Amino acid sequence: LAARLAEIRQSVAKLERAHPGVPTYLTLGVPQMHRHLPGPGLACGVLHEVAAAAHGDRPAALGFLFALTAVAQHVRPGPAVFVAARRALADFGKLYGHGLRQLGLDVGRLILVETRTHKDALWAIEETLRSDVAAGMVAGAVEHSLDLTTSRRLNLAAGVHATPLMLLRGTKAAGISAAATRWRIAAAPAARDRFGDFAQWRWHVVLERARNGRPGEWLIEWNHVAHRFRLVEGVADRAPVASTGLRAG
Amino acid sequence: MSRIVSVWLKAWPIARLLRAQACAPADAVDPGRPLVLVAPGKGGACIFALNRAAQRGGLVIGELLSNARSKVLDLQTRDADPAADAAALRKLALWCLRYTPIVASWDEISGADGLFLNITGCAHLFGGEKQMLADLAARLRSFGLVPRLAIADTAGAAWALARYGDSDHAIIPVGAQSEALKRLPLAALRLSEATQLLMRRLGFRRIGELIDQPRAPFAARFDGELLARLDQALGHAPEPLAPIVSPPVYRSQALFAEPIFSQEHVLEAATRLLKPLAKDLVRKAVGARLLRLLLFRVDGGVLSLDLGLAAPSRDVRHIVQLIGLRLYRLGGEFEADFGFEAAAVHVLVAERLAERQSLLGMGEECIAPDGLARLIDRLQQRLGPGAVHQLIPYQSHIPERAVRSAPPSPRASPTFQRTPSVRGEDRGERQEQAQAQVSSRGLSPGSRVRQAPSDIVLAKLDRAEIADGWIPGIKPGMTVAWEAPRAPSAPRPLLLLPQPEAIEVVALIPEGPPRQFRWRGVLHQVAATQGPERIAPEWWHRTGEVERDYYLAEDREGRRFWLYRAGLYGRGDAAPQWFMHGVFG
Repeated sequence: LAARLAEIRQSVAKLERAHPGVPTYLTLGVPQMHRHLPGPGLACGVLHEVAAAAHGDRPAALGFLFALTAVAQHVRPGPAVFVAARRALADFGKLYGHGLRQLGLDVGRLILVETRTHKDALWAIEETLRSDVAAGMVAGAVEHSLDLTTSRRLNLAAGVHATPLMLLRGTKAAGISAAATRWRIAAAPAARDRFGDFAQWRWHVVLERARNGRPGEWLIEWNHVAHRFRLVEGVADRAPVASTGLRAG
Repeated sequence: MSRIVSVWLKAWPIARLLRAQACAPADAVDPGRPLVLVAPGKGGACIFALNRAAQRGGLVIGELLSNARSKVLDLQTRDADPAADAAALRKLALWCLRYTPIVASWDEISGADGLFLNITGCAHLFGGEKQMLADLAARLRSFGLVPRLAIADTAGAAWALARYGDSDHAIIPVGAQSEALKRLPLAALRLSEATQLLMRRLGFRRIGELIDQPRAPFAARFDGELLARLDQALGHAPEPLAPIVSPPVYRSQALFAEPIFSQEHVLEAATRLLKPLAKDLVRKAVGARLLRLLLFRVDGGVLSLDLGLAAPSRDVRHIVQLIGLRLYRLGGEFEADFGFEAAAVHVLVAERLAERQSLLGMGEECIAPDGLARLIDRLQQRLGPGAVHQLIPYQSHIPERAVRSAPPSPRASPTFQRTPSVRGEDRGERQEQAQAQVSSRGLSPGSRVRQAPSDIVLAKLDRAEIADGWIPGIKPGMTVAWEAPRAPSAPRPLLLLPQPEAIEVVALIPEGPPRQFRWRGVLHQVAATQGPERIAPEWWHRTGEVERDYYLAEDREGRRFWLYRAGLYGRGDAAPQWFMHGVFG
């Protein structure tokens, strides 16, 4: 009888655990990018890295990371958690709620964790991933080097609830890590509407490393209402850069 | 009727000085020779406290130091330090929590050199009042103090007997304080100098002469002080004690046969303390929101750890885990010294928590519905208070005021029961009220205390103080409404600088948008701008702020900045200044 009971318990557990309708990929909305990745979008349950092309591009990289967080919040239940060591963003100030909202995030479902050291930040990320909470997204900002062992640990932890995990790395991020992808982000002039106002943010995105995929390079535009990216085709689509400076005066 | 222990520590400042100097032997005083502590007074330095040898030399408190020096030749003097005395007394009072949760230190009128312990319903845990008093006296003596103790029904009577009684460990039976006080001098009523002088002139010397007198003439003459003190001592009028820590709603305590040292043992002890506590919480259908773990060192110190929980819980494993994380954060500050001889867990705030059915097939390690609250707890214990937070909007046009950070609400968990919302303004008020209730009532007379199996002891108030919604720092029922119609529609930066930074800007025309700017030594050529968006200061705050014209500026590399011009041209004398306020993603 005991064996039978255990069997039933197991099958019930399986039924209860399975979250129907929770996707295992975060779609980016750009088929051209998906072709470079092993699946239709960013795989959940593994580590993805985001790095800035230069120090001044760090806000842009953070913007890209939060755009993906918005995608995750849109399709996955559970809160998004952002963990940052105090020093990681110190150069550019503190996250601003209205700015996050304008990127398309549900700020009410975003939990911010601020730690004193990078070690604590990594602990907090792992603790969140391994907890009972099936977070919609766990993101972090970590300056210091992430060795192979640490990134493997994070990878395993992300697999517990198949949580998407993104880390904003330092500009010099390089070398081996267990991350599935590494994105290198640079700022790009924003799209303008016909009145000359800034309409949509754009980023120059380089897929540096992709496990089971191939590298690529795109100029993409973020649609914060539809929660998807769009590929910007060619230079012709860019905002007219030269002649707009005087408009507002 | 409550039972109060009064502890008078004779020559407390001297005892404290001697104890403090045991740690720093340099510049030590000889306790055998006359020693006085001096404080500035009328006409020069006066004696504040003195030891027995100095007393034998004929010195008294309040005497001028110059006179004292002429009376006693080899007089040792030190400066009095009332602040350090009070701090040490508070430490000792914390240690006394091992006997009872309600401990108050004497106020100025009572002399500030003693303690009141409300031991109602606690004495039998130590084998009765007599044994408890003997234990307390022995331990205080081992700290090098000279205690005089008394137990009575009222704080006033206990104080009087400790200060003026014959025995140094008097126990007055229930209701007999009137008999006991009769022979004591009037000073034992804690009267002011003027009242005492007047009473002496009227020929009253002892309390007994006063007890049976008609009240009306005294009430007319003495401003209420005399009769109020008398009534307090006799138990006709209440005398509220101000406990040094707010008394717990539930508590559980253990005394160890051998002192414990390591963190593992502390966690083990906490588990044993929490188990009976959890049963009690289940019976009352409440969960703990604020817990305090007290570890009593052998040498009289106390390590006190407060644990705030994001949601009510009575899960022993979870709470012990939190204690472990908290001890980890303590790191080097976790000092057992000679070991901990007792431990107590106090539940300071409890909230309703209904029974919940666990999912079939999940067994022990079920996916807890309040998982998010637990996660927040763990993160907060390890990372410190304020590390975990959420952003909430605030109605203000000034950008830096439009967002506030708040402790996270575990609302994303599906079954989290939200208590009725409490508005932010009256939260503090309610908290004060609730605390006032707790402190004024103290242990109610009918409180039951029972002896649990083993040496674990559980004492609790009869009426559980259930507070919904006034946990420090956590605002239940707070709706996070970011999509409010008043949220700004103009672009807002992803990162806001904590302080706007002054920048040098070149513009084509004074009121125009910037063409180039230098921020942190780097020159940025502006390729495109949007703005201005004028944000006027809030006139109802007289802060001397000026209008700001915000521009969103994009440089040639596509990086976007939020900068503003403070002030207007053509008004006043100072030219407008430019500031950098944030960056966009």
